[in-house]
Amino acid sequence: MTAVAEAKIRKRVLPTPVTGQEIVLVGVLVVLWAALAVSTPAFLTAGSIQPLLVATAPIALVGVAMTIVIITGGIDVSVGGAIMVCSVLTAKALVGSEVSLGVAVLLSVAAGGLLGLVNGVLIAYGRVHAIIITFGTANLFMFLGLQIFGSGTVNGIPGTLAFFGRGPDGRTLGVPHAFLITLLITAAAWWYLRHTAGGRHFFAIGGDPQAARLAGVRVQRRVLLAYVLTGLLVGMASCFVIAQGTSTLDQSVGAGKELAVIAAVVIGGTSIMGGRGSVLGTLLGALLVQSVASGVTQLGWRSQLSDLFVGIFIIVAVGADLLRARARRNR
Amino acid sequence: MTAATVKAPAENPAAKILRVLLTQRIALLAVLIVIVVATFFINDAGGYLTAPYDFDYMSASLINAIPLAMLGLAELLVILSGRGGIDLSVGAIVSLAGMVFGFAYGEWGWPLWLAILATAGFGALLGAVNGFLVSYIGFPALIATLATFYAYKSLAIVINNQQPISTEPIQDLFSLSKSVELPLFGQYVPDVPLGIFTFLLPTAVAVWLLLARTSYGRRLYAIGTNDVAARWSGLPVRDTRFKAYVYAGLISGLVAVVTVGQFASARPDAGVSGNGMALPAITIAVLGGVAITGGIGRVSGVVLATLLIVWLNAGILLAFVGNEGSQYQLLALGAVLVFAALLNGLTNRKYGGSQ
Repeated sequence: MTAVAEAKIRKRVLPTPVTGQEIVLVGVLVVLWAALAVSTPAFLTAGSIQPLLVATAPIALVGVAMTIVIITGGIDVSVGGAIMVCSVLTAKALVGSEVSLGVAVLLSVAAGGLLGLVNGVLIAYGRVHAIIITFGTANLFMFLGLQIFGSGTVNGIPGTLAFFGRGPDGRTLGVPHAFLITLLITAAAWWYLRHTAGGRHFFAIGGDPQAARLAGVRVQRRVLLAYVLTGLLVGMASCFVIAQGTSTLDQSVGAGKELAVIAAVVIGGTSIMGGRGSVLGTLLGALLVQSVASGVTQLGWRSQLSDLFVGIFIIVAVGADLLRARARRNR
Repeated sequence: MTAATVKAPAENPAAKILRVLLTQRIALLAVLIVIVVATFFINDAGGYLTAPYDFDYMSASLINAIPLAMLGLAELLVILSGRGGIDLSVGAIVSLAGMVFGFAYGEWGWPLWLAILATAGFGALLGAVNGFLVSYIGFPALIATLATFYAYKSLAIVINNQQPISTEPIQDLFSLSKSVELPLFGQYVPDVPLGIFTFLLPTAVAVWLLLARTSYGRRLYAIGTNDVAARWSGLPVRDTRFKAYVYAGLISGLVAVVTVGQFASARPDAGVSGNGMALPAITIAVLGGVAITGGIGRVSGVVLATLLIVWLNAGILLAFVGNEGSQYQLLALGAVLVFAALLNGLTNRKYGGSQ
């Protein structure tokens, strides 16, 4: 084998830094934003873009972890319930004990990590399909959340978490902190998944868990880590959720978020079968979904209509991916 | 096979009972139902419940079993078809088909039979979209039905400007969900909700006939177990899988009619409010012994699992005051599902699978 051919093969070991899906998504986003800017002049103003970024943050952040879980061939449909537990726990702590910003974040992240640990242990060591276990724990988490809620809502939440919120306290140089943190974590995850052995192990597990095990990957530990990571980021995202709301938290918090997160991941080009995916795509997917929601409202259409577009985007995004895969096979 | 026949004589009775309970899901569910019902009867006798838990109450609570069992059967069909088969959109189909039924029967004044037929047909059409995406284009089922879940849910809300339809004919439909006395020996047993006979039993029998007595059923099990082998044996894999989603949509359409009757109103969020109807339906299917990997599952398992959950929920509702009960129902559902899943894992390792 010649040196050139060897160099070529070595180059191909890593996927391209940016996938085709991501380039397409950037294109779609540009077109969408341009169209919205033309039809509603108010769209491309700071007053409209900043809330859009703030609203994207929790979905994208949980999406980063969900991407890793899905890369391993799993899925976590309990994140909605987990968001409920973390946010009500933190909100109660804020109201009852008036904890500081740092303590609130730590509490929320720790609680999330614990919930993730439950999922991870059951899935990695119980050897049961992830979707079934997380359907089960979703119910358990919701029970837990509602129990902490007691009766009704949590009222009078102080503005401690305004650092992550929509207001002027929530941004530096016009960039919302929540989005900035999401961006940093996404970048870190991108580097981790692409350039470390540990990150590549997730792809190996998703590709073929048996082969990964024989190649020396500690499959169970890696899988456990993926779900714990999800829990930790759910904890962080819950702080964003509290900060975005008013001073009241009601029992619908987190409901349906698991599907929104999975939608963002899937639109971002991550294969639900495992072994292939990217966190950048997930961030773009979340941004696209939120842009559509924001655009639909600003155009004065029914807000529920945005769900129709989410459905269509999923079909188009995954359909394009399927067609590309078919073209690759036939070449 | 040989291992089992060799081992059998040496087995002591306790080990045999354990093996039967673990490998025969029907036996396990039957035992669990007896335990649940006995527990609540004892609690009732001790006066710990807020209202009597008796046969009348158990019979009346069967009204909740109708949509649950029917959607569980719908999930049975799609999960059986294999390749990660699952349908997240059944709740959204219930919402959207329910609105169509509301228009047809409540607004346009179609005769009832025609409206029901149209609704079931519309549900089948929505299911056909799922089936086409999954079977012919090759979408993973989770993704295709997630997408259609969003789309149908959105359409159901937008179609009538978020408003429910509850005109006079729709309100009169509430009579569909009343309890009736059975003929002949009716005075000796509790009254049973009418929907059991008009919707649930026909559906369950039809699905059972389809799976156990037609060549389509054999094909479905075959493609769910190993679709590559099925293709090489010359089975129409795509067509078979496609139809599983169509049937699931059809059943969801019928559930839409039941739901409209129960609420006496066609609500745009009927099947998706709260946790929606899809998650409980999948839970029921899994609890009933349907393997998420496809090819394994029976109607009787789904029906027994429904009875277990419905009677468990009914009892929990009486054991707690206020909305605590509905919260503990979540706990029970989650715990039962995790328990069943872990049990499946254990059974697979110890006995090489359940039936």
